[in-house]
Amino acid sequence: MTVQEESAAAPGGTGQPLVRLTGVQKHYGNLHVLKDIELDVARGEVVVVIGPSGAGKSTLCRAINRLETIDEGDIFLDGQPLPQEGKALARLRADVGMVFQSFNLFAHKTVLENVTLGPIKVRKKSKAEADKRGKELLDRVGVGHQAGKYPAQLSGGQQQRVAIARALAMDPKVMLFDEPTSALDPEMIKEVLDVMVDLAERGMTMIVVTHEMGFARTAANRVVFMADGAIVETADPETFFTNPESDRAKDFLGKILKH
Amino acid sequence: MDVVWEHREAIALAFAYTVLLFLIAGVGSTILGTLLAGMRVGPIPVLRWAGAGYVTLVRNTPLVIVIIFFRYAAPKIDLKFNFIDVVIPTGAGDIRLNNIFAACTVGLTMYTAAFVCEALRSGINAVPLGQAEAARAVGMPFGGVMRHVVLPQAFRASIPPLANVQIALIKNTTVAGALGVAEAFVRMRGLINIDATARIPIFIAFAAIFVVLVEIISFAAHRLERRVRVA
Amino acid sequence: MRRMKLGMTAVAVLLAGSLVACGEAGEDDDGGGGTGVEGAEPLTVEAESDCDGKFEEGSRMAELAEAGEIAIGNRVDQPGLGQQDTPDSVPEGFDIDMAKLLIADLCIDPESDAVNWTEAVSEQREQFLEDGTVDLVAASYSITDERRELVGQAGPYLLTGQQVLVPIDSEVESIADLEGEEVCAAEGSTSLENIELEGAVGVPAATYGQCAEDVVNGTVPAMSTDGSILRGLAQQYEGEVKVVGPEFSEERIGIGYSPDAPEMCEWINGVITEAYDSGDWEQAFQYHLGTEDEDAPEPPALDECQA
Repeated sequence: MTVQEESAAAPGGTGQPLVRLTGVQKHYGNLHVLKDIELDVARGEVVVVIGPSGAGKSTLCRAINRLETIDEGDIFLDGQPLPQEGKALARLRADVGMVFQSFNLFAHKTVLENVTLGPIKVRKKSKAEADKRGKELLDRVGVGHQAGKYPAQLSGGQQQRVAIARALAMDPKVMLFDEPTSALDPEMIKEVLDVMVDLAERGMTMIVVTHEMGFARTAANRVVFMADGAIVETADPETFFTNPESDRAKDFLGKILKH
Repeated sequence: MDVVWEHREAIALAFAYTVLLFLIAGVGSTILGTLLAGMRVGPIPVLRWAGAGYVTLVRNTPLVIVIIFFRYAAPKIDLKFNFIDVVIPTGAGDIRLNNIFAACTVGLTMYTAAFVCEALRSGINAVPLGQAEAARAVGMPFGGVMRHVVLPQAFRASIPPLANVQIALIKNTTVAGALGVAEAFVRMRGLINIDATARIPIFIAFAAIFVVLVEIISFAAHRLERRVRVA
Repeated sequence: MRRMKLGMTAVAVLLAGSLVACGEAGEDDDGGGGTGVEGAEPLTVEAESDCDGKFEEGSRMAELAEAGEIAIGNRVDQPGLGQQDTPDSVPEGFDIDMAKLLIADLCIDPESDAVNWTEAVSEQREQFLEDGTVDLVAASYSITDERRELVGQAGPYLLTGQQVLVPIDSEVESIADLEGEEVCAAEGSTSLENIELEGAVGVPAATYGQCAEDVVNGTVPAMSTDGSILRGLAQQYEGEVKVVGPEFSEERIGIGYSPDAPEMCEWINGVITEAYDSGDWEQAFQYHLGTEDEDAPEPPALDECQA
């Protein structure tokens, strides 16, 4: 895989960040799961969020399209504050692609229908147009020949690639990946990561929660390290992996790199 | 068996009422029950509350009381169905869909809808949360999430309990017999009154027809279940 | 004067769950008058005192007198014939008076707890006699050949015919005016069949009280059954409904007894004949079924007991 520019600065940025989180707080009862989160993601930037389990990475990811509500703070997408509920929120979500750990393909729809449902029902595209674009995307992620099958007939890696195609079919401004390879058998992880690296190279803005350090090194513009609900450290991948500042990050990297 | 054969036209007519009560209340309760289920799992608290209230009130009330309400109490508050008067002529006599039939059908529909709602809700709960999240993530509003993603899958999981509800409905139509519709059960009691010596053949004949009707519903449900099953 | 308040609210219906319960509230509001001729005296029946050796050894009558208990199948929703306020009370009506005469003849006090009054709706009556749930049926029980194949029927002690009950302002004059119209009657009853034979559309109901309610609130244009029952209902809903038309059927009302005890027939006929002769029959008729305009009819001739 080719390595992206090392710079932490946003490539091709227009000054205003595409995603901005300021002062975000969230509690589950007494548990403080997001602590005063400040994060800007520039257009075209690939941000990888890593950290130990329970650090709040997934919650952060899901808060960005309001699958999780937040208690305090603001989240802006392309300069617009996140709406509370209803049609406006639905419109915003259409612009944010989401890939889940457990794929969540629509079990009663074929692979192609999974990819075209959003464009037809939300973007109001014609079925022919949506099918054509859907097939292109399925070819691009390498599952074009499976278009007529149901999700349950596919392997995990294939399902996750369909899920990526489904998100891409909405022409999103930003893609969120919530541990996209954690539920996969090892031999299938690469086929999904390859698709993600390809996306990054095409300039897609991506926020990726993952344990795949290889992906972080090769594809990320920036690594965000979280622990106990807070962002502890932000750095370019090279700096982070070779010379982490915080003790928490050193400890974390020490544990995972031993194996 | 003579008395059964002698009255075959009257029996056929009676079962026509039974089947019509079943079909109209079956379709009506499916529609109303689906709306109620949508209210109960939806995001609007007032509707959730109203849906739960409806189910609690109607499901916990004996059917006969629900129908008596529409037959005898509703007319007192000027809720009458006198505008309904459809006559379907048949070789065995007219089938009359009148105010009484309408009141009984409305009662059966409203009662059964509470059970349809709960059967669907059990199906909705069986659909993994991730399905709805994925649908929301592609930008579908609540209605779209329900219509395109959750309900089709919930319906599949709900077919066995829904079939039970509809089977209960066809048997519950006999309650309408005591309240003004000349359906099968009334005809059976009438025949027994005419000729009590033939009690057992009459009983067997009516039970057999009910068994056939219920088997048709079971068979249809089974076929439907297989058709919507995903490999 | 005996008009009952059937003004139920929706809540009342939901709570009561049964129109029978509602329809019979307010029974004792008229100072003890019957449903028949105003001012007529009710028949008082006292138990015979000595039944030793009165009945043939081993007969059902002897067994009942010995036991001192009897179960009667009766109607509870037919004013004038058989009506009962609560399951524990002693019912009232012409059928009931006939039953009381029979009970008393067995040296059992008809007003006491020794009598088990059991509601027997139309199609239960044969069953109750066959399985011994009741010893006698006095429940506007029409005598028919089919029934006599299953159970014993003695009588008739009353001849009635089916008439029509309509709202007070109705233009209907007889069943002939109701061809193709809905007419209510109790389900499983001969009345319902007769309505259909006359070309009207039968509307079944669980009780005659429900039918009357449907006529009053306009759900059906008419109801039909024995004229004596209709007159009782017409008094309950005085000023709202009326009985019209000639009788278009003849019902011969008798007493049902167990098919295993044919010896009861002669006994029943004997007690009824005694009531004809003593004037008890006429007194009971006037009190429950009589009208001011007419004298009591001649009591009907009893059928011979079959061997």
